[in-house]
Amino acid sequence: MTSTPTRFAACAALSAALVLSACGTKGGGSGSSGPDAEGVRTGSGVTATDITLGVMTDKTGVFKNLGLGITQGNELWAKDINAAGGVCGRQVRLETVDHGYKADTAKTLYPQIEPKVAGFVQMLGSPVVAALKQNLLSDKAVAAPASWSSELLDNPYVMIVGTTYDVEMIDGLSYLQEKNLIADGDTIGHIYIDGEYGQNGLRGSKHYAGKHNLTVKEVKITSTDTDLTNIVTGLKGDGVKAILLTTSPPQTGSVAAVNKALGLNVPLLGNNPVFDPALLKSPAASALDKLHIVASSVPFSADLPKAKDVAAKYKAAYREPANGGVPYGYAVGEVWGTVLKKACENKDLTRDGIAKALKETTSAGTENLVAALDFSKPGAPATRQVYVAQPDPGAEGGVRYVKPLFEAAEARDYVAPHQK
Amino acid sequence: MNTFLQLVVNGLGKGAVFALLALGFVVIFKATEVVNFAHGSLVLFGGYLVVVTRESLGWVGASLVGILSAALLALAVERLLLARARSADANSLALLTIGLDVIITEEVVRRLGVTLPFLGEAWDAQPIQIGGITLFRTHLVALAVSAVLITAFFLAFRYSDWGVAMRAQAENREAAALMGIRSSRVTATAWLVAGALAGVAVLFIATQDFSGAGLSRGTHSIALAAFPAAILGGLDSTAGAVVGGLVVGLAEALSAQYISFDFSKSAVFLVMLVVLALRPSGLFGTRESTRV
Repeated sequence: MTSTPTRFAACAALSAALVLSACGTKGGGSGSSGPDAEGVRTGSGVTATDITLGVMTDKTGVFKNLGLGITQGNELWAKDINAAGGVCGRQVRLETVDHGYKADTAKTLYPQIEPKVAGFVQMLGSPVVAALKQNLLSDKAVAAPASWSSELLDNPYVMIVGTTYDVEMIDGLSYLQEKNLIADGDTIGHIYIDGEYGQNGLRGSKHYAGKHNLTVKEVKITSTDTDLTNIVTGLKGDGVKAILLTTSPPQTGSVAAVNKALGLNVPLLGNNPVFDPALLKSPAASALDKLHIVASSVPFSADLPKAKDVAAKYKAAYREPANGGVPYGYAVGEVWGTVLKKACENKDLTRDGIAKALKETTSAGTENLVAALDFSKPGAPATRQVYVAQPDPGAEGGVRYVKPLFEAAEARDYVAPHQK
Repeated sequence: MNTFLQLVVNGLGKGAVFALLALGFVVIFKATEVVNFAHGSLVLFGGYLVVVTRESLGWVGASLVGILSAALLALAVERLLLARARSADANSLALLTIGLDVIITEEVVRRLGVTLPFLGEAWDAQPIQIGGITLFRTHLVALAVSAVLITAFFLAFRYSDWGVAMRAQAENREAAALMGIRSSRVTATAWLVAGALAGVAVLFIATQDFSGAGLSRGTHSIALAAFPAAILGGLDSTAGAVVGGLVVGLAEALSAQYISFDFSKSAVFLVMLVVLALRPSGLFGTRESTRV
């Protein structure tokens, strides 16, 4: 039996631990503090030696492979920038949490990570970013969502690196029409995950359809649906000439496999998150030849000097099969680096200072890992240029691009939902 | 018309796998009156063993290991946990299986990590076209396997000592015990068989043709989706499991096209509710008569 003094000691130790941990919750120190020796004002996540950026990713949900790739890209960038001396005399550190693509989990994790970081180099998932919208606003934390919905652009602290799902769809449809795979007046299907991701892709296809008299057969699904056999059977009955996908990779695999199995064989056009190289090792592999992926970041194997450099560093550091998330994650880091350097020049590394530096960034370059980005226009996508890629088992990262960066005329005059 | 026929074919094919799963629920319920909510985790466990042994044993060997492992795990659950709580009522034991289900599922999902392996390589994504209709090979093999296993069950229940003992026990546990039937052996065998069925079913579930996804948490959800099939067929009826499975498959396929894909996920539960309202013991379940 435990003696009373022992029990008392245990209680005292526990109480002390609780008090200490409660005091430590805001260890990163939120809010701004006075200038350092160089006259640079600092805030949350910024110390005399380090700048800490948050990574809220998906390691266990439907986008776990993409999340892993982007995180590895973030890490490679942090390693490179630190090797080059860091930013503002400080080393970049990453603080990572896994929300499993669940908004409620992300809501729980956010208060734990927010006080420790200057901003977020990755916040994966439209539902997650939507759930944390108010938090980002009230904490004035700049976040780069690994989510490309133009609906997010009403939040001045959201930094979308690349174009948005609606614009991807518009550009992609123009590509299909340019290749005579669809024609004015056709019926097309659009399978989309209900929520901001899917709705934003659908907004793009409807815009293009309106300009070209296309009939869009919409099918709403959830992120956990994986067998889409009956949907594709129905779309075949509707006589669709193409199927658009704003889905997860397993759903893409299902549609591709059934497209082939039913002898439908129409082109498939997907937003950037629809593909995962793991599909090339799935039973759907032989059915992926009809898939076109639209993205504003380069494929892993792109024949560009910077992409090759990132790919070489990736292979030296990691063993997992690479995907397009790697160059994208690196590119986001590069953009963050540009913004932090501008904030440093402005002598203000507080969150306010970082947000101000973002608005002043009119040409964040990533050596074409993504198109040049202009964050100065409120509510507008930072670029409207995309690559079109197709699965290729012979290419590292699983895709090769079939059309380099371009912008469709229909995308140029498209007005995003929060564009001023 | 072609769309309708294709949907019926899709529905019947999926129904065959649901029937296999439902049969797993039925066998245990018939012998013990316990609803085994851990069936989904047995499915996952069998699948996981296929994944880890496939490289060294090949697909056939690994599949056999998977089936055997799921059967042995089910037996262990019965011997180590349920048999020790013989006096507990069936509802308490059903709750115990829920706890067990969570533990096994979480551990398998954790071990799987980022991989989502497909398990039906002998038949997956090899469709057959007949007169404009596509038959998915996974569905065809599942139909054949279901037909063989279900016939075997019918025969075993009717003619084997174990089947007769199980029927006797299902009818009246006390009287069966007084007649010298060893309840523990009947119960243990039922769990062993149900585990093996789970091990077989996963080879059809974790396929492109059936679920569109490899072995994952989703596999577990699908296994539980067979629960309405067992309920609406009648929890103690093997014939009911077959009919229930086919009804679930058809309800899902047809409602996805003619109502909405969203609705198709709740359609099977709606059908179950309607059946239960009209026949509380399910379509083929034994009606309980109570003298008052």
